[in-house]
Amino acid sequence: MSNAAVIQTSKLTKKNRIHELDLEVREGEIYGFLGPNGAGKTTTLKMLLGLVKPSAGTIRIFGENPAKHRSAILRRTGSLIESPSYYGHLTGLENLRVVQRLRDVPDKNVEEALRIVRLEKHRDKKAEAYSLGMKQRLGIAMALLSFPKLLILDEPTNGLDPAGMEELRELIRSFPERFGMTVLLSSHLLPEIEQIATSVGILNEGRLVFQGSLESLRARNRGELRIATGDNAAAAELLTTRGLRPELREGRLVLGPLADRDVAEINRLLVARGIPVTRIEERKKTLEEMFLELTGRERSL
Amino acid sequence: MIRVLKLEFYKIRRKKIGLMLLLLLAAEMMWAFMSTSVSISRNPDQAVWASILFTTSSLNGLFMPMMTAIVVSRLCDMEHKGSTWKLLGALDVSRGRLYAAKYGCAAVLLLLVAALQAMLMTAFGLTQGFTDKFPVEWMVRYIAGTTLVSLAAASVQQWISMTVRNQAFALCLGMLGSFVGLTGALFPEAVRQWLIWAHYLELGPVTLRYADAVGSFAAQSWSPGVAAFAAGTALVCFIFGSLHAGRKEL
Repeated sequence: MSNAAVIQTSKLTKKNRIHELDLEVREGEIYGFLGPNGAGKTTTLKMLLGLVKPSAGTIRIFGENPAKHRSAILRRTGSLIESPSYYGHLTGLENLRVVQRLRDVPDKNVEEALRIVRLEKHRDKKAEAYSLGMKQRLGIAMALLSFPKLLILDEPTNGLDPAGMEELRELIRSFPERFGMTVLLSSHLLPEIEQIATSVGILNEGRLVFQGSLESLRARNRGELRIATGDNAAAAELLTTRGLRPELREGRLVLGPLADRDVAEINRLLVARGIPVTRIEERKKTLEEMFLELTGRERSL
Repeated sequence: MIRVLKLEFYKIRRKKIGLMLLLLLAAEMMWAFMSTSVSISRNPDQAVWASILFTTSSLNGLFMPMMTAIVVSRLCDMEHKGSTWKLLGALDVSRGRLYAAKYGCAAVLLLLVAALQAMLMTAFGLTQGFTDKFPVEWMVRYIAGTTLVSLAAASVQQWISMTVRNQAFALCLGMLGSFVGLTGALFPEAVRQWLIWAHYLELGPVTLRYADAVGSFAAQSWSPGVAAFAAGTALVCFIFGSLHAGRKEL
């Protein structure tokens, strides 16, 4: 599938924060924009929306340059950036009316947006009295109000309880099919992106360290072979003479990815030399480990 | 632009701006009416339109800077509190348009205050049975002069309110303005001419002239210099304030 690119950036740069970003979000995708806190996700999204000026590079959204066609692009884009923005003294419904007036959309959109985020019962309550989750849902309703072609959500599950997170995930998953939307979703939580996204971009310290489908990210993980023997030193020496480069780690000889045939040959060789083979394991990294490796962070995010 | 301006009026619902203005207006007008009534009871010659116009113009120096600060601060504070700059920016409402809409909204409210003052003064004059003819031109001049000075003060206030999140600064400036407005006549001319809040009386239609230690009301001609200074202040502060607020990244 190669749908048209809805968002395309080339060498997008913001001084000291974002470095030569080449982002590509295709039509109908749910693009997970992943990165640890402070990686530059929000700055990038703000640049896409024209809220922050890039220092260098180009942006094309719907094939158009935002610097020249900002209004036309924003008419087709809904967004929720950082914490939800709202007028606390106004009710949920009145907050939506503010956006409705600016978007010039019919009343039925307001009703539909309230229904989708399940705020109908709280529509007449002041937004300042909403819980964080309700505020987040109000923000999403505001972004959805014109049922835009492109939806940009910055950490939309922040502050939600697990049930709310799951509910929101299901909702977002349904957008491309129900409304023909393309969704760009940022998060610092890999499991969240893993469950929703069809494509992923991983940002670390302002640089895009991976971009592609989740399958291609998984495919990068070719795993490693770990062999435990009765005499690891002798086994390592033997395997080295055969052109392999085993590493001794945690009482195992660690080799790179090998074909089944090669694994069988190694086993036969070791046994033939009288070195007992006690374990042969293949270990693949979890996405979490790959993410941590790509972002260079091994501690909790 | 009209859409964004209308939206400002929609957004200020429940902000109680009207109530606050009415309370301050009530305090000011009660003060003016009581003071004028006392003067009339002591000297029946004071039962003329000039007396209430002069008293209200002088009290405006104290009350209008406060009202202006409150109106502008409430208008700007709701955007700071709700972090709605990003929301509006992403809805293609530029800071410049928003700035102009807020200024427009404040201008309409302040014009209404001046118009309401004129109506209340008219009602007071009619009930007191002022002896001279109802001065239509003076009333129009009063509304124009009061609004013009308030617009200049509002442009200074809005610059602060839009760029400094903590509205305590803006309200302090309003209080300072009230102090200057109240004591303006005590400042030397060289200083007073630069203090925008001290000009309510100078752009009013009536002044007080003293001869042999006796003060009497006299018509005051429209001062193009003061009016130009007020309009210039409003324009310059509006332009620089808008540019300054627009330059801040979200």
